[in-house]
Amino acid sequence: MTVHPTFQTALTVRTDRTLIRPTFKSNRFVLAEIVAPSSRREQGRPQVNLAFVLDRSGSMSGDKIRLAKQAVEASIGRLHDDDRFAIVVYDEQIDVVVGTTRATAEARRLAVARLREIDARGSTNLGEGWLRGCEQVAAELSAEGVNRCLLLTDGLANQGITDPGELAVHARELRSRGVSTTTFGVGNDFDESLLQAMAAAGGGHFYYIAGAGSIEDLITSEVGETLDVVARDVVVQVTAPGGVSVEALSPHPTREHGGQTEVIVGDLTADEQVSIVLRLNFPYGQLGHSTGVVVGLADQDDLLGATSVKLAWQYASDPLNDGQDRDRDVDRAVARVFAARARQEAVGMNRAGDYKAARRAVEGTAKRIRSYAGRDPELQATASALEADIQQFQAPMAAPALKTAFAGASYLMRSRMPDGKAMKTPEDAGQRS
Amino acid sequence: MPAENDYSLQDLADLTGVTPRTIRFYVAQGLLPSPGRVGPGATYGPGHLARLKLIRQLQREHLPLAEIRARLESLPDAAILALSEAPHGTSASSSASEYIRGVLARTRVAGRPAPHPYAAARLVAPPMPALPATAPAPASPTPSPAETPSPDRSQWDRVVLVPDVELHVRRPLTRQLNKRVERLIAIARELLEEDQS
Repeated sequence: MTVHPTFQTALTVRTDRTLIRPTFKSNRFVLAEIVAPSSRREQGRPQVNLAFVLDRSGSMSGDKIRLAKQAVEASIGRLHDDDRFAIVVYDEQIDVVVGTTRATAEARRLAVARLREIDARGSTNLGEGWLRGCEQVAAELSAEGVNRCLLLTDGLANQGITDPGELAVHARELRSRGVSTTTFGVGNDFDESLLQAMAAAGGGHFYYIAGAGSIEDLITSEVGETLDVVARDVVVQVTAPGGVSVEALSPHPTREHGGQTEVIVGDLTADEQVSIVLRLNFPYGQLGHSTGVVVGLADQDDLLGATSVKLAWQYASDPLNDGQDRDRDVDRAVARVFAARARQEAVGMNRAGDYKAARRAVEGTAKRIRSYAGRDPELQATASALEADIQQFQAPMAAPALKTAFAGASYLMRSRMPDGKAMKTPEDAGQRS
Repeated sequence: MPAENDYSLQDLADLTGVTPRTIRFYVAQGLLPSPGRVGPGATYGPGHLARLKLIRQLQREHLPLAEIRARLESLPDAAILALSEAPHGTSASSSASEYIRGVLARTRVAGRPAPHPYAAARLVAPPMPALPATAPAPASPTPSPAETPSPDRSQWDRVVLVPDVELHVRRPLTRQLNKRVERLIAIARELLEEDQS
């Protein structure tokens, strides 16, 4: 495996095939693999400025609210004096239990006392609760720190702003103004597509907490990641010549900026590994001519160094194209992303009661993967696993099964481990399904 | 809300400052959906108005047309409405705090203009939820719904003392109490406004 010096970021960029057709607009895939450095040299970790936004609706009563409070308590215990935190609780009323404060021992003691008094009560104004949490973070925005709002819910947004599209837009606008959002969905009744959309647009992470028992583990893990950030606001920049279109297949937000396509990766923790899959579409060209793109990395503080890689393709005849070698690692990464997308689509169809469409989504993708799988065992396995899932998607699925399938696909597409946590080592990568 | 298709091409132009010719160009480019009827009697709806406002805003931020089109395609109508009605402070140059204030102001006083600072804004209290029978009365620092009487006969006034500090008063008050509250507001403003750093 690639061993990289401690302070450098490793960026490896590959394409599935290097020959393209002159009289046909070829599609090719690019796999960009990023490995974050182990530390920030003498800089030390950035300050964190967090808000914990907890659902206190009636359904949270019992273990859920108790363990959520415990998780927040454990998390603030890990902060230093110059970090900040705030605690907001919401049902249809929003209460700022602890306004943004430095994490001194005194403040933490007070917070723990106030946390103890919170109990589960009413309905769910998730949108306003979340915005008030972001407001706390925004009030004391740290220019060099990690500013993030952590939203936990077990139900549907049924008061205030309820439109997922609108909430995702606000999450995106806030991310571009420095406040990122991570979401935690607990139990069977939350809207997984809403929470994923908010976290994706918000530059944070989405977690599915199946049972109250995992609440503390995942919340403290996420806080741990904020305390371990080595590069903030990482983007993959792709510079392509006119006529070459660049599209991100991995579900990260993208933007066009100064003639480049930027794929927004977010904050990276020490040794974290993220893979981004891109699809390029090439224009007509001349036999023998070459074209190429440059792929680079940039981060908020310019700590990653000028890392960039050039990739080239050549226009060649149809027979040469048909017989060319394929980079199987790229094929495998592409197949995994398509399989995950098919599963999420199938979850959506299944929820809507369209079982035929759910089946078709999964079947169609499995078929396409088999068409380029050849004898590759991994590709065959990806296709087989999809085919095995047809059984469950074509009949009504219970909430836990839907959420497990959805979250599993979400984690895979975003280079997270099966439990939702960051991927750090090659061994972790081997655990991917 | 205005009726389905309410605006003529000229109405739309007058309301947004975009020439009729440019509006027709946007329709041809797929940035705006086609109007209700084609030709001289064509009518446009609030959706067109909202989209057009948003296009202007994004152009002011130097976004290329292709990017604007892509953004509009991915936004649901509700989001377009929200973004197009954003007060000046929510353009890309605003801070996170300003953006949030804009959104919260719109959602709380939905349909009405945001309250002028230092003016009392009348807000009707949301219906108090019935506490489940088994829940114990919490000893929390914030007032619990169970302690407040029925809201039907009263409403809460939100008095902004300084931009980040408010006083909530449930009216009607007795005359005596009302006088004291007025005094309180005057004193509070005096105190909070001194030494603005």
